[in-house]
Amino acid sequence: MKWLTWKNIGVDRMGCIWLIRRWIDPQAEFTFISSGEKSSVNNGEPFDIPGEHYSHHSGHCTFYALLAENKINDPILTRIAQIVDEADEVQEVTLEPAALGLDLICRGLRQISRDDFEALERGCLIYDALYAQLKMDSPNSP
Amino acid sequence: MPTWLLLHYRLPNKPSALRVYIWRKLKRLGAILLHEAVWVLPDLPRTAEQVQWLTAEIQEMGGKAYSWRANSILGQDDETIRQQFNEQVDAIYTDLLKKLEKPRVDLQEISRQYQQTAAQDFFHSRLGSLVRDKLKSKRGEKL
Repeated sequence: MKWLTWKNIGVDRMGCIWLIRRWIDPQAEFTFISSGEKSSVNNGEPFDIPGEHYSHHSGHCTFYALLAENKINDPILTRIAQIVDEADEVQEVTLEPAALGLDLICRGLRQISRDDFEALERGCLIYDALYAQLKMDSPNSP
Repeated sequence: MPTWLLLHYRLPNKPSALRVYIWRKLKRLGAILLHEAVWVLPDLPRTAEQVQWLTAEIQEMGGKAYSWRANSILGQDDETIRQQFNEQVDAIYTDLLKKLEKPRVDLQEISRQYQQTAAQDFFHSRLGSLVRDKLKSKRGEKL
């Protein structure tokens, strides 16, 4: 299925793309439109665009919305949602020191990438790495 | 010429928790409230994204919000606003520097406050690097 978001992806949208590809829709195709441009239904399912279904709600990031909506039950992904929330939303209490670093790296990734397609590939690698290490560190790991 | 982000919003009177919630978020971002009417932030990638989400969130709560990118018509206002942003962080930095002079200091707590303040230090206040250097040298003493 087709998915649609604004150009210049950062920490939340790189995470969303990774989540969609790995857990929701392996055949996903992504389209990037200019920031502020209205999404139209024909172009795909919009995400991380203000006012859309898959976006920030009640102080949670879009990654969190995608996870909740698709009823994916994986404690590592819940943890990543917490990290993305702290990286991409204003939080009073923070629990994840990795959040700020992840935000910086994702912003930098976009800077050194030719376009959003290159950035998304690199972003997916970062999230693969994050997932693998969190899994290794989790109390249930073998 | 600096560009500013302006946010103006109205929320329903009740529940008051929503108003407090939005107000705290803006404070946490380091925004300044001008004349009890308009919130101001410098236009940076991070602040612009946050204002965008806040605008959407206020609308989702049943409120009305408008946000703009703006330039001052009289250039001198830029300096005044910039000073206000600096004063805001300098007040905290000064307090932290005072605390760092005391014999027994909670370096962890001070570094936490320093990091929070540094995130709002949009114009790189000189006091900020002073606090940072002090924290670094104090950390050395402990070894």
